[in-house]
Amino acid sequence: MKRDDTRAMQNALSAIVKSNVSAESQNWLESIIQSADQSNKISQAFVMVPRKTGKSIIQLNDEQKVLIEEVGISYISNWTIYRLCRVWLLSALNSEDQDKLHATVDRLFLAAEMNEAVALYSALPFLAHPEIWVKRCAEGIRSNIGSVLEAIMENNPYPAENLDEAAWNQLVLKAFFTEKNIKLIVGLDKRANLDLASTLIDYAKERWAAGRKVNPQLWRLVGKFINAEIFETLKVGLQHYDQIEQRAIALAVSQSNYQPAKDYISTFPELKLALLEGNLNWDSF
Amino acid sequence: MCCSSSIERDKALMGEPEAFDISAVKGMKFFDPHVHMTSRTTDDYQAMADAGVVALIEPAFWLGQPRTGLDSFRDYYSSLVGWERFRSSQFGIKHYCTIGLNSREANNESLAEQVMEILPLFIYKEGVVGIGEIGFDDQTAAEEKYYRLQLQLAKEAGLPVQVHTPHRDKKKGTQRSMDIALEHELDPYSIIIDHNNEETVKEVLDRGFWAAFTIYPFTKMGNERMVEIVKQYGPERIMVNSAADWGISDPLAVPKTAALMKMRGLSDEAIELVTYRNAITAFAQSGQLDEADFNAQKNVDLTEKFEGNTILRGGQQPRTDKSSIIIS
Repeated sequence: MKRDDTRAMQNALSAIVKSNVSAESQNWLESIIQSADQSNKISQAFVMVPRKTGKSIIQLNDEQKVLIEEVGISYISNWTIYRLCRVWLLSALNSEDQDKLHATVDRLFLAAEMNEAVALYSALPFLAHPEIWVKRCAEGIRSNIGSVLEAIMENNPYPAENLDEAAWNQLVLKAFFTEKNIKLIVGLDKRANLDLASTLIDYAKERWAAGRKVNPQLWRLVGKFINAEIFETLKVGLQHYDQIEQRAIALAVSQSNYQPAKDYISTFPELKLALLEGNLNWDSF
Repeated sequence: MCCSSSIERDKALMGEPEAFDISAVKGMKFFDPHVHMTSRTTDDYQAMADAGVVALIEPAFWLGQPRTGLDSFRDYYSSLVGWERFRSSQFGIKHYCTIGLNSREANNESLAEQVMEILPLFIYKEGVVGIGEIGFDDQTAAEEKYYRLQLQLAKEAGLPVQVHTPHRDKKKGTQRSMDIALEHELDPYSIIIDHNNEETVKEVLDRGFWAAFTIYPFTKMGNERMVEIVKQYGPERIMVNSAADWGISDPLAVPKTAALMKMRGLSDEAIELVTYRNAITAFAQSGQLDEADFNAQKNVDLTEKFEGNTILRGGQQPRTDKSSIIIS
């Protein structure tokens, strides 16, 4: 993410914080940021925030709704005020001394309880020097706390922009495993890759062996990479499983260049028709 | 260990719960070779003892959240050979453990280095029956590095290895775990590959490794599927465990699976192998596990203390041996 974009996002956060906290809380937050001993003060304030701001969901006026849309953070609209204030505090950290910044934030991660961890991972797109948070983000994906995983996986642009392929693939796989909303993963289609597709195919086979269903969104990540081997697995799915899954496979095939699979789909009148009508898309699953 | 998944609690879907009828396997003995008792209560120990579990192995694993310093590891390992072993003994269950640096925390390399340094202080302790559970979680380079280092340690120590296979990308992770063990010239007969499923079992057995199965609600094996696997592959080199931990899991998974096997017509010999004997054969290669210890453990003295502490809290009475004719 470009520095200018980060600045615009930060300004949007400031505006929303101001209209959602009391004058007293606002003064307190401002004093922390202006403090000469900023990094120590922010560490303590970060933990204290809910006591000062309460825990309600933020309210946005029409202008603010447009603003967050413009800077690409409309997902914050359902955040609590303390989550927003925590992220805003972190975004205001002085970024000139990279090591100091890293040490300050890392200390918070090491002592974080659940809601703090949610705020910390939510803050990743707002922090300077995005490259220094890559390991931390990969570590977060190893968490087994649902809300923490959601903060990383859903509506968070940081992972897609910064993680290497192995860590990214783990994020997507784990999102399927922990039944997160796959549609909310930012950059999902853009970062699809063959390795992920073949792992997901193995996962689908495991699910079937256990008598479980497969999330139809899985096929979205497979479509572009269909080859002879994947085609064999698709056939199994088409022959034995439910209509939703069949339709998802058909849609994936329609987005591939693998002709034998396309021909095969044409042998299913219902699927052929659904594709011809053109009303299948990934939002419908 | 567990991973999260949706938990259907709709009774219309699940039906009414059925009481576990232990009578089908009454009198049989069980060995749970993978259970994280640190996360369980004394009620679990009681229920396990009542259901016929006579011994168990507690593999070192993570606590649900990463440790941030070496001392937490040291205390944890100490508790596995100390307080937890004592607690188990108070229910007549022989407690063994395997010691290792788990895969997830192998990713914290600076801490992992320090943990590697203290491992030799623990793996040679009495009752440590292997290195475990080690292997892959998200299959990073760091995980591979510490998996290899610990395999080397197992080789030097002559200890079996308990391999945790990953939840995600399991098939490839399992193959890779076996390939690497063979590269280090370990005998597959000394390696227990855990958390298998229908997609991995054949290759694990074909290559001469032990195949362990975790009966864990919602995520890993169900015990009906387990019955089918034993029917298909036979009972050789297969073992069943609960991997019960801080997740929604069942410390009675081994006796329950045995009961189901009995009801589904498997022979007593086959049931005994997969729920008792095979695990003993595999882990006894450590020289630290002797079946005679199980019997010795049965003579429970609840008035014993561990470093001055007992499991009995204010006012609690020790549980008496109800099979004894003497009432005192």
